[in-house]
Amino acid sequence: MNTDAAAAASADRRGSLLNLEAVVVAFGGLQALGGVDLQVWKGDRLALLGPNGAGKTTLFNVIAGDVKPTSGRVTIKGIDCTELPARFRPRLGVARTYQKTRLFRGLTVEDNLYLAQTGRSGRHLALLRSGVDAEFRERARAMAETVWLADVIGVTAGDLSHGQQRQLEIGMALVTGPEFVMLDEPASGLSRGERERLVQLLLSLDPDITLLLIEHDMDVALRAAQRVMVMNEGETVASGTPDEIRVDPLVHAIYLGSEAGLRGADP
Amino acid sequence: MSPTGAAPGRAQSRRTLRRLLSARNVVVAAATALALLLPLFGSNFFVEFVMTRTMILGIAAATIVFLAAYGGMVSLAQYLLAGVAGFMVGNAVVAQDAWSKGLKLGWNPWVAVLFALAVTTAVAFVLGALASRTTGIYFLMITLTYAVIGYYVFGSITPLSGFGGITGIDPPGLFEDHPQRMYLALVVLSVLVYVAFRVLAVTPFGLALQGIRDDPVRMASLGFNVSLHRTLAFTLAGFTAGLAGVFNVWWNGQIDPTSISIGPTLDLLIVAVIGGTLSLEGAWLGAFVFVAANNYLRNLPLVDHIGITEARFNTIVGVLVLLIMILSPDGLAGIIDRIRLGLRRLVHLSRGSGAGPAEAAAGSKP
Ligand SMILES: Nc1ncnc2c1ncn2[C@@H]1O[C@H](COP(=O)(O)OP(=O)(O)OP(=O)(O)O)[C@@H](O)[C@H]1O
Ligand SMILES: [Mg+2]
Repeated sequence: MNTDAAAAASADRRGSLLNLEAVVVAFGGLQALGGVDLQVWKGDRLALLGPNGAGKTTLFNVIAGDVKPTSGRVTIKGIDCTELPARFRPRLGVARTYQKTRLFRGLTVEDNLYLAQTGRSGRHLALLRSGVDAEFRERARAMAETVWLADVIGVTAGDLSHGQQRQLEIGMALVTGPEFVMLDEPASGLSRGERERLVQLLLSLDPDITLLLIEHDMDVALRAAQRVMVMNEGETVASGTPDEIRVDPLVHAIYLGSEAGLRGADP
Repeated sequence: MSPTGAAPGRAQSRRTLRRLLSARNVVVAAATALALLLPLFGSNFFVEFVMTRTMILGIAAATIVFLAAYGGMVSLAQYLLAGVAGFMVGNAVVAQDAWSKGLKLGWNPWVAVLFALAVTTAVAFVLGALASRTTGIYFLMITLTYAVIGYYVFGSITPLSGFGGITGIDPPGLFEDHPQRMYLALVVLSVLVYVAFRVLAVTPFGLALQGIRDDPVRMASLGFNVSLHRTLAFTLAGFTAGLAGVFNVWWNGQIDPTSISIGPTLDLLIVAVIGGTLSLEGAWLGAFVFVAANNYLRNLPLVDHIGITEARFNTIVGVLVLLIMILSPDGLAGIIDRIRLGLRRLVHLSRGSGAGPAEAAAGSKP
């Protein structure tokens, strides 16, 4: 505990939020991540690029605690989280979205956004409603507005359109008031106009919020991020500013075959 | 949408009132009133036999529906838990000098009830904790295993189950020789259980349970302790099944291991399926159909040619369940719901209004 606290203090001084050291994930014989190192600073806006199967989502899963790494170390705010189950992440201010939406399909938009907040507070075992709940409800409604769902706030999530479900997915991550948000392909399946709205939303986030973004849409990724990391076959192959990445020959080589897929409508 | 100009407080209370006066609530209230008045005009057999049994099975089946509809867990252990309560009552109340078996503690019947409910709740907590990491078919299998093991445990620990059962279990004086009172108490208890489960659905606890039903992975990543939540829901359902078990043993006057074997366990699941595992009122509806079929249908012409009595009943119920499953996976409650929506659409059509589909899309909610 003591060493944890000391580590946390020193990490804070450096402003380091997330630290991955030689993270390896193997699914049977398939190595999805082959020793990834990554450091994310407070307030970072980092985009993760790479072709299908590069291991981007697996990296998210490791950070979020949904997948335990085969080897390596995950440190969040100076606390070793390698073995910590997913449900302890929200207390560290971590929130994520899923590539394939994970909503409470039988509950309304408002209840989805409400529930997203109660887990962290410990209120979920309560049988009575209280003032805190009113606050959560208020915030849920405000978030519905933010992610353009105010007019469908009473609709069950399962009945929403695909685009609306993606918006709710993002809302559920943001409504927790996170310090560190991970968005897994938030723009996939959105129309051009919706993508533009999304970029504006991401740019309007509190600058203190740290953002890790997986995005196949280069335009969205390079506009929303200040730093880019490119992965291929479970390894980091390039990293730099959006401008550097735009002209990086290696990135072009990796993307050349699938350029059309990257820019076009991704499934 | 909301009436403009009205004070927000009044608009709010009017909205609350309108919500309370939904068609569903009105029907349930009417059914409750009918059930409470039944002793005034129903035959003794119908009240003390058919309807009393309906209420007991209804409460027990409601715990299955509660777990299935809100928690996504189909439990086969509910009849076992009712049986645990029954055995505890039996062991506790039978007097030392009575001509019966079991522990014969000779306690006050109300103390026995508290004891039985405490034991049942504790057992449910342990069983729930052990099953809380599984879902779907695995949860079903684990709870089926509980039911089978429970049967053998009571069968082999004879001091507890008194070789072949405990007999002469008397209800408390309040109900002894007053079957109508017992029936009325069961109606009141049914209403309490029904209301409690429905209110629970909108509490933070109930909403989180439904979140776990829809996506446990998301819930964990939002900071919820999913298995603890499942365990607590299972414990609550176990306690409620215990209540049904207490009345069951009072009503039967005896209990033996066979009465918690796989047969009655599956019967209770059938009750829940007939009514519809997604709707709470379906539990009592299913119980009524089941008990009525058990008591009346076997003497029907044609049916009376099928084998012996038990086979007759099983055949009828089997066909019934098959029909309902084919017609409506949501059981009778689902069928009623569809008829209601169909009627509403007809009304809309005859009024020439095109605003039908939106309402029709809002399907049945638990
Ligand atoms: N749970 C799992 N079990 C087995 N293999 C998996 C699992 N999750 C991911 N993989 C495999 O690991 C590799 C990396 O997958 P991952 O989902 O991380 O890729 P990705 O970069 O997110 O790709 P995409 O752009 O298609 O989302 C793939 O080959 C995938 O098939
Ligand atoms: Mg992915």
